[in-house]
Amino acid sequence: MTAWRAAGLTYIQFSNIAARVLRQALKPNLRADALKREDSHVKFTPWKDGKPITEKA
Amino acid sequence: MLGRGGLVAIAAAQSGGQQVRGMATLKTISLRLKSVKNIQKITQSMKMVSAAKYARAERDLKAARPIGEGSVTFYEKAEVQEVGEKPEKLIVALTSDRGLCGAVHTSVARQIRNELCESPDNIKVICVGDKSRAILQRLYGKNIAVVANEVGRKPPTFLDAAKIAQQITQHSFSSGKIVYNKFKSVVSYNTSELPLFSESAISAAPKLSVYDSLDADVIQSYVEFSMASLVFYAMKEGACSEQSSRMTAMDNASKNAAEMIDKLTLTFNRTRQAVITRELIEIISGAAALE
Repeated sequence: MTAWRAAGLTYIQFSNIAARVLRQALKPNLRADALKREDSHVKFTPWKDGKPITEKA
Repeated sequence: MLGRGGLVAIAAAQSGGQQVRGMATLKTISLRLKSVKNIQKITQSMKMVSAAKYARAERDLKAARPIGEGSVTFYEKAEVQEVGEKPEKLIVALTSDRGLCGAVHTSVARQIRNELCESPDNIKVICVGDKSRAILQRLYGKNIAVVANEVGRKPPTFLDAAKIAQQITQHSFSSGKIVYNKFKSVVSYNTSELPLFSESAISAAPKLSVYDSLDADVIQSYVEFSMASLVFYAMKEGACSEQSSRMTAMDNASKNAAEMIDKLTLTFNRTRQAVITRELIEIISGAAALE
């Protein structure tokens, strides 16, 4: 059992953190491009019985 | 009595109005012409934009292809089969938020709809992109488990795929698949499927022994990674097909607009001539009456 899995991370979370650190360590001319690959805007809404579950309900 | 008379009067006025509307006046034609020209401008610039985006998407896709193929080959080589007594299916619909791109979203949704039509029980759908949600929610809203939006504004990143994979792993399923559009060429795409397997299915694969030095930890990590990379690859394929399809759709729209403009210009000129001729006749006959 690796340390990161013991901490409750999945492999994807672990590798994303590693990738983020690597991107921050790049030289400035390469970093700008690499940082563009880091953003993510996906939003999730759980659904139940044909309706989205909003935070209010 | 009076009321009925009023109704008749209104009806007469309406039919009169209809006639005026039906007869193309110079003003209405020129307004119509102007609006069609504006639409053509919009579709043309949308075509340009999507052409640029398409070029980038195709470049990205080339880089992403090996990532997806690696996972697929693993599933094939290890002959992974679905396990589990109760058949719980999970379908991931990969579309985007944006329309005006031909039938890419509809064909993904149609494939899923056909499946849901046969047996709507025990199938959960994860809709990626508002478009698949909009199509599926009316008839099969009960099957939708999660909706992901804000997809398709920018090219998909691995982080997006990782988040979606995270959502997928939160649902238990015995067999799953990703429905996406596989990019073939600028003018064509295939709606295809990628299999998804749970960890237990992979551990029970009959030919897993062709791979050596595997333990439960490695398999677990690999399942997580392969899930994300499959989603990533499918997203790239989807984005590329979407942009190429939008390009063709906008090209067709511009062509149709050009056709309409030609026809409208012709009617416009004809009507203008007719108006001039009528005025001339009126003036001449007026002058003739005075003599």
